[in-house]
Amino acid sequence: MTGIVGSNFLKVDARDKVTGRAIYPDDIYFDDLLYVKVKRAPHPHAYLRKLDVSKAEELPGVVKVITATDYPDLNKFGLIIKDQPVLVGIGEKMRYLGDALAIVVAESREIATRALDLIRVEVEELEVISDPLRAMDDDAPAIHEDGNILITHYLDKGDVEKGFAGADIIVEREYRTQHIDQLPLQPEAGVGLYDEESGVIKLWVATQWLHDTQADIAQSLGLPREKVRIIQPAIGGAFGKREDISVHIHLALAAMATGRPVKLTYTREESMITQSKRHPMIIRAKTGATKDGYLTAWQVEVIGDAGAYASSSPAVVHKGMYHCTGPYNVENVRGVSHAVYTNNTYSGAMRGFGTTQMAFAYESQMDILAHELGLDPAQFRLQNAYQVGSLTPNGQVLSRSVNVRETIKKAIEMSDWKGVRVE
Amino acid sequence: MKITITVNGEKREVETTPSTRLLDLLRDDLHLTGTKEGCGKGECGACTVIMNGELVASCLVLSPQADGAEITTIEGLGTEEELDPIQEAYIEAGAVQCGFCIPGMVLASKKLLEENPQPDEGEIRRGLSGNICRCTGYQKIIDAVKLAAKKLAGTGKLAGAGKSRGKGGGR
Amino acid sequence: MKESAARSGNRQGTSGGDFKDCFRPEDYFTASKYFAPESLKEAVEILEGYGGDLKVLAGGTDLLVEYYERLYEVKGWLDLKNIPGLKEIKVFEDRIEIGPLVTHTELEKSENIKEYYPVLNRAAADVGSPQIRNRGTIGGNIITASPAGDLLAPLMAYDAEFKLVSTRGERIVPVGQFFTGPKRTIISSNEILSRIIIPLPGERTYGSWCKVGKRKALIISSITLALVVKFNKERVIKDIRACLGAVAPTPVEIKEVRKRARGKRIEDLNFSELGELVAERISPIDDIRGTAEYRRDVAREIMINALEEIAEKAAE
Repeated sequence: MTGIVGSNFLKVDARDKVTGRAIYPDDIYFDDLLYVKVKRAPHPHAYLRKLDVSKAEELPGVVKVITATDYPDLNKFGLIIKDQPVLVGIGEKMRYLGDALAIVVAESREIATRALDLIRVEVEELEVISDPLRAMDDDAPAIHEDGNILITHYLDKGDVEKGFAGADIIVEREYRTQHIDQLPLQPEAGVGLYDEESGVIKLWVATQWLHDTQADIAQSLGLPREKVRIIQPAIGGAFGKREDISVHIHLALAAMATGRPVKLTYTREESMITQSKRHPMIIRAKTGATKDGYLTAWQVEVIGDAGAYASSSPAVVHKGMYHCTGPYNVENVRGVSHAVYTNNTYSGAMRGFGTTQMAFAYESQMDILAHELGLDPAQFRLQNAYQVGSLTPNGQVLSRSVNVRETIKKAIEMSDWKGVRVE
Repeated sequence: MKITITVNGEKREVETTPSTRLLDLLRDDLHLTGTKEGCGKGECGACTVIMNGELVASCLVLSPQADGAEITTIEGLGTEEELDPIQEAYIEAGAVQCGFCIPGMVLASKKLLEENPQPDEGEIRRGLSGNICRCTGYQKIIDAVKLAAKKLAGTGKLAGAGKSRGKGGGR
Repeated sequence: MKESAARSGNRQGTSGGDFKDCFRPEDYFTASKYFAPESLKEAVEILEGYGGDLKVLAGGTDLLVEYYERLYEVKGWLDLKNIPGLKEIKVFEDRIEIGPLVTHTELEKSENIKEYYPVLNRAAADVGSPQIRNRGTIGGNIITASPAGDLLAPLMAYDAEFKLVSTRGERIVPVGQFFTGPKRTIISSNEILSRIIIPLPGERTYGSWCKVGKRKALIISSITLALVVKFNKERVIKDIRACLGAVAPTPVEIKEVRKRARGKRIEDLNFSELGELVAERISPIDDIRGTAEYRRDVAREIMINALEEIAEKAAE
């Protein structure tokens, strides 16, 4: 085995990227290109009562304004649960500020933007739920028909009661994390073209799930998959944010409705309001340890703010819970996690997929325990860290390549850590 | 309204409007799409070009403000056969991932190295502080600028282009 | 300008059944005019004719961000770039005059600014990023009048004056009277800022600059401090200016510091007490860049640091 592992290779598309020749979605132009803009919800939780697009349609240069009325048979979409509407129809609910009410197609970006201001919207406001704890109240209005708790998962290993009974010290704390945007440098963008003869919609647009995205677009439009072609141009970063549908279905509709090539590029602000975020989490952790510094039990309750739509929440929040003990051996673990709908921008995938929020909680717990026990936090970690043969909270035996102890030792060495003096 | 600008050495007369950004003029009218839009507020540096010898965010320049100006975009660096040493360095240092920030980064590096051919790490960081990269964590980009400085010292391409501003810029 | 036009835009602030927020296409105007006059006289005449319908454009690094966020509507631009002299830094016997189009980069590189106004020089170097410093100007920073404008506290600390011209003549306004609130100044819609005049500081003047923000580049300051101290031959403090940004609706001078410090040697001052005084006298708010409490804590500490820095410099 020579030549592959441990060798450097030049990235195949780097030459195109350093010369500016790499083509990203927004770099694609056609002579008769039309520009698309989306009218978003004016309120994060409301029924749409009236939508008057007539003034926008009258604006010179506007080619088409599409609303749910034009396409009454569109199906909802979503990565795991199909709960997100393509367009909010009259009498239907908008659930966050990113929900689409109308799609404007015009001869220029500027005209399309102007037309948005000419769309009249009348809504019936509902209570806005921005806190998942409020969403879990019995008297909170249901954001979706089946209630606000999107999904609950449980975790059970060993016997936590026994574990806490055997602890000399128990630390119980609540941790909260905030929304974070993945912020890929290229905002969501795409170009669409509809071939009337073959009925094929071509989309030049970035996605992290090419075939799933194709399938989701097709089911939403009620078309067979082969009628949707996605061409993946250069992708300007993703980090989880491009797992969800963004411009895709709106582009397809605009292309079909006009028969001309169409382009939709989000502003940064629109990208922030509309597309997924890292989940804010409320993490309640209870950890027991012996006075010589061994963990005996760990219990955790996790509440993840899913925002308005499910996206990856059914997978992210409980993945966070499974990592509740971090890389530390604990025999007795119990956990419950809830992904909860709110009227915030929906949460989804972001690097770490729920585990980074948890790291804040478990490493804080470790520091607090070490402090209370009068132990050096590095040593305390070292003596509890995973090794080959460790059993994770969800029952996985770590059979090889477990390097956390070496990592801690190396970190101690490199940082010249002298330990903390216990007073 | 009509303006005249020289882009990558070529003089062009372009029809534009008072509210068209230089960025849009370059991309929509001249189809020089190597110049990117990442934020539209001058904060990310993806739209960086060199205008009259200065690094600017083309999203914060109105096209009439650029009337009569000389503009260098990423397309103006190197040739099909021979890349600019800075471009080579970015490839060789593994500094390119998604690539969306790279045109701006390369141009910022060019200006930095013209003014300061042997920058230390602090000066590199300051010189590139108007350009955001979300992929690399910047280390390999800094490596690329150091490599580029070496390459340019070897070729003598920057000789006389400007003298070092000295230390202390990277506060 | 119609209120509705200013409030709509990509923020899509409509809600409920409020149809008043919508407006007709003919109400909507984008900047469709562009003037680049070649003299100040011509410029003020154009401005007189259009009044508030034109935006006076210097570097555009603030103005264009707001325009494209559609925080205001405008009929056109009055670009000052072709007017001779507005990009000059001129040294006179008793003062330096800076043209409003002098960029942050030019302030950073100017040997005269470095020598006479090191605090202004360093503040300019801390603005934004290379791209922003190359376009953004001292005049723009003043007229934008953000409470966090980085050059404003230094200008106040050096007793700058601003020359404003219109078709009706000119007036000179001291920096202390110029700012009236966040993004508000006394300049009229028919006036142009034509000069920034700063008295030469004289020998034995020392300064200290501190900018605190969440990151080094491209950050709106959480707090800034410009401290300028003048000593006489006997090393007694002749005058002192402690000016802060981002801690009140306008840049502010803590005048009490003058009363406490004038006539004393710096080593006889109680730095902690003066730090405390600054923390007490500012009126910060809680915002995304920091809480009022945080700003008071930081103000105290940076004031102490600044006094220590100046004591050190003066001792050399």
